[in-house]
Amino acid sequence: MIFHELYSAYYTAVANILSALIDGNTDEKALNSLVCEHAFGESLLTVLPALKSEKWQLMHGDFSTPICHKPTMPLTTLQKRWLKAISLDPRVRLFGIDFGDLSDVEPLFTAEDVRVYDRYADGDPFEDETYIAHFRTILQAMRSGQDLRVEMTNRRGKTMYVRCVPERLEYSEKDDKFRLVTSGCHFVRSVNLARITKCRLYNGEYVIASRPVETQYDTLVLRVSEERNTLERCLMHFAHFEKRAERVDGEYHLTIRYDRDDAPEMVIRVLQFGPTVEVLGPDRFKNLIIDKLKSQKSCGLL
Amino acid sequence: MSAYNELIKNFEKIRAYMRDFYVYGFKSRTEYDKKSARLYDDERRRMESWLGDHMQFVRTPEGKTMFLSIDSRLSEHNPLYKAWKAKSFTDRDITLHFILLDILHDSNEALSLGEILSRMDAYFDGFAAPMSVDESTVRKKLKEYITEGVVVSEKQGRQTLYRRAQEMVLPEDTEALHFASEICPCGVIGSFLLDKYPSHVDRVRFKHHYITSALDSDVLCALFEAMRQKCVVTVKNASRREEEPRENRIVPLRVFISTQNGRQHLLAYQPDFNAIKSFRIDYLSDVTLLEPTPRFDELRAELDRMQAHMWGVTAKHRLHKDEHLETVSFTVKIADNEEHIVNRLEREKRCGTVEKLDEHAYRFTAQVYDINEMIPWIRTFICRITELHFSNHTLETQFKRDIETMYKLYGIGEVSE
Repeated sequence: MIFHELYSAYYTAVANILSALIDGNTDEKALNSLVCEHAFGESLLTVLPALKSEKWQLMHGDFSTPICHKPTMPLTTLQKRWLKAISLDPRVRLFGIDFGDLSDVEPLFTAEDVRVYDRYADGDPFEDETYIAHFRTILQAMRSGQDLRVEMTNRRGKTMYVRCVPERLEYSEKDDKFRLVTSGCHFVRSVNLARITKCRLYNGEYVIASRPVETQYDTLVLRVSEERNTLERCLMHFAHFEKRAERVDGEYHLTIRYDRDDAPEMVIRVLQFGPTVEVLGPDRFKNLIIDKLKSQKSCGLL
Repeated sequence: MSAYNELIKNFEKIRAYMRDFYVYGFKSRTEYDKKSARLYDDERRRMESWLGDHMQFVRTPEGKTMFLSIDSRLSEHNPLYKAWKAKSFTDRDITLHFILLDILHDSNEALSLGEILSRMDAYFDGFAAPMSVDESTVRKKLKEYITEGVVVSEKQGRQTLYRRAQEMVLPEDTEALHFASEICPCGVIGSFLLDKYPSHVDRVRFKHHYITSALDSDVLCALFEAMRQKCVVTVKNASRREEEPRENRIVPLRVFISTQNGRQHLLAYQPDFNAIKSFRIDYLSDVTLLEPTPRFDELRAELDRMQAHMWGVTAKHRLHKDEHLETVSFTVKIADNEEHIVNRLEREKRCGTVEKLDEHAYRFTAQVYDINEMIPWIRTFICRITELHFSNHTLETQFKRDIETMYKLYGIGEVSE
């Protein structure tokens, strides 16, 4: 059962408080900061007061504890079964992590129990040895704060050489691809891992500064109809963005903040709703839709 | 009337509220008031406490509207997981938890219930009003912990001995756990594991990342368990058309996950209709496992076969009736520098086929159970569709009429070729 107090934020906060008390740290401010770190916004009103008032008999008035060992808890069966399930996933195996002996553990689910039906078919080769080696070199570089030297094939099929600061990896579930987000190289901001042909740590003396490029955002306003259940479908579809939905004079307006670089993708995402979703603004986005429709009209389909 | 508590006993109520706040976000307080204004206030306050940074509001003529706004590309962790860490408990539960695991600190030492009880007394020394804990309470707690796998029991003669389950050392690096906790089913369990680390740096972020399914984790977990045991289940299924959820008896066969619309469906055999049907997992609750069914493998094999004609989640309507398939074909024009469109067709074709007609024209064809599911995708090729044929003529007419409506909507008149 997932909804169990064993996994509760309060238990985690109290475990940390008891560890601090065992270490002799009885500063109330420090204990409260553990509550803030591990529990919720209003937990300050509950956790330490419950311990101090002896409702939870784990701490005496002098901030000593009858608990002798720093609290730990063995993994639950559910946690082990989930670990077993994810340890079979080739994307997780990329990280080269040993999850311990799970040989006698039944996985919570297997690949047979799940079908991701609309993922693109040209995902990264997660089980290819060269790809795995590149992935782990990138991880190592990020962990140790080293730069990378990357040889890659660009979209036009040309070989490029890049030295960069690896900022983070980004995974898209739809594309089933990893991208390396970089800085320090003015002509490459991100690299598709599958396009990398060589990748190694840079151990030279010349230091390039980590200057992550700030994402430029645009805002899109849509009028969403209730027809054909569009409202729910549309709100779900754009749920992963920072967004705001409003009811204005009996109709629904959806405001979405998106990465400006993703405008072409956003255009086709809006188009898929057909006439039940209309772009209200900005005009430059609306014009992209109009251009598509004009081209369609010239195709002579109707 | 009980006082407000940040923690909750029942997840179902908050599941519905969080979904409404996150997905819809336009409902005002008065629309939630139908059941209880106080209930709304309590649930809103809880969400503010758990997810304060992500709660926003706007003032509208209908009143103040609270909503959750989360750009999952910027969030390191799925913030909705916090709700799963808010289970309420009694004072005795939390006290016993830490004392029992302290007594059973050494996994090599097995203790009887009597030994545990006698050691427990010392823990309450020094408290003004020591908590009274009887044998039955401790036995029940131990039994619960055995079920969860935290404690194991063994027989020594007629006596039952209890000891801590063997510890497993978690990997030092958290990246794999973090990654899996965001993209694998029931990822909240990974989040529970990450809570065991003092702190961690995550170097992976996510694009196109739907996080709403976090709210369905318990249901999903029960469905996986049913599939592992090849069981029949009863499940409550809410419907937009009916006030009360309906109880269905089904055989769960597979979970279908979309990376493009944020939904998860269960494909399950429903004996009442002798059909494999899809159920929205966010509409399901109260999964109860019943007896195993000897038909599980046969039914799953049938689903495997059907997948060759499933664009989305619609399967064949009746198992023993003739296959009714609908045919779709459309042709797109490709300019000289538009190889990426051909790549798109190839990578997105699913159960369809792509055929090159000439240097500048490609045709997509598929036979599916339900053309309706394909229409949004076909619309993404608007600007280059030169031919289109559906065996379902009503849908073909509607598709073309929709394009005409879009022309009008955006004020597009006659365009010369």
